[in-house]
Amino acid sequence: MGSKEFILKHSLGVRIFHYILVVSFVPLAFTGIVLYFKPYDELTMNLYMRIHVILGIVLTLDAIAFFLVGFERVVTFIKRMFTFSGDDVRWFTILGGYPQKFLLRKKVPVPPMGKYNSGQKVFGICVVVGGTILIVTGWALWAFPHILPVGMGLLFGNLHMIFGWILSIFLLVHIFLGIYMFDDFKAMFLHGMIPYGKAEETAPKWVKTELVKIENHV
Amino acid sequence: MKKQTYQYAESPFNMSRREFITIGGIVIALLALPAVWIRSGIAKRNSYIRARTKGLYTDDTQSKVRVSHGNTAVSKMYTDFAQHPLSEISEELFHTHHYINRRAA
Repeated sequence: MGSKEFILKHSLGVRIFHYILVVSFVPLAFTGIVLYFKPYDELTMNLYMRIHVILGIVLTLDAIAFFLVGFERVVTFIKRMFTFSGDDVRWFTILGGYPQKFLLRKKVPVPPMGKYNSGQKVFGICVVVGGTILIVTGWALWAFPHILPVGMGLLFGNLHMIFGWILSIFLLVHIFLGIYMFDDFKAMFLHGMIPYGKAEETAPKWVKTELVKIENHV
Repeated sequence: MKKQTYQYAESPFNMSRREFITIGGIVIALLALPAVWIRSGIAKRNSYIRARTKGLYTDDTQSKVRVSHGNTAVSKMYTDFAQHPLSEISEELFHTHHYINRRAA
């Protein structure tokens, strides 16, 4: 294949969803951590809470819009996230070859992956499950605390805190690896396309089984 | 500047209709089940208050004396000692003129 050939990896709809997700979730994680440690006075904490709530509403609308408009994408994404094979087990035994690459400057053979590698699948599961729990519990705690049973309120508070921490920590790894895989970064933030050769190297199963050749698309 | 183009995209036929309906159905069911659980939890949230209220009404129904002025011990106290409610002696002994201001404390 020629090196000038490209694959559309992320459609415009997915990219718009991701832009809004970035704009809402990154400051949500930051304000959430500030709200957890409460380092400022009451007035400032109140301001942080307001920002947290407004961004939470933005994130919710983004998620609902994508769920309704791109339901087919949601189903495809969930299928990919929850499909595991022996290659995933082998990927986890060497952690995708990243520690060897970063720590030993050594390139080890990595099992063939699909559109998302095994680490991304685990992250995707956390985003889908954790994100849904964060949205539901966040709304319940903010908008309906007066009708929540005491036990449910406590449970929601703990779930919101636990999943908030999990996704915030995962976010740091995601940002680091996202920028490290610069072709993927450009595909998600700019044009949606990835070079064919690069995709063949990082996602051979996807290239082999899920793509079709098309002409005259811009 | 030449616009970048792509020559490959994901096939729209990667997933069968059966798979789509199955996964889509599971997703919607998993979203609906917690909603049902939360709704039933909210509906039952005051059940202990309702049970207590019901118990108190049952006690009232079963009681022989249901009002304080029907209490023979109280009636006897007024007849023998305090004359009648709001009498001078009742005012002096049963009514208080001081209170604790908790806000000030």
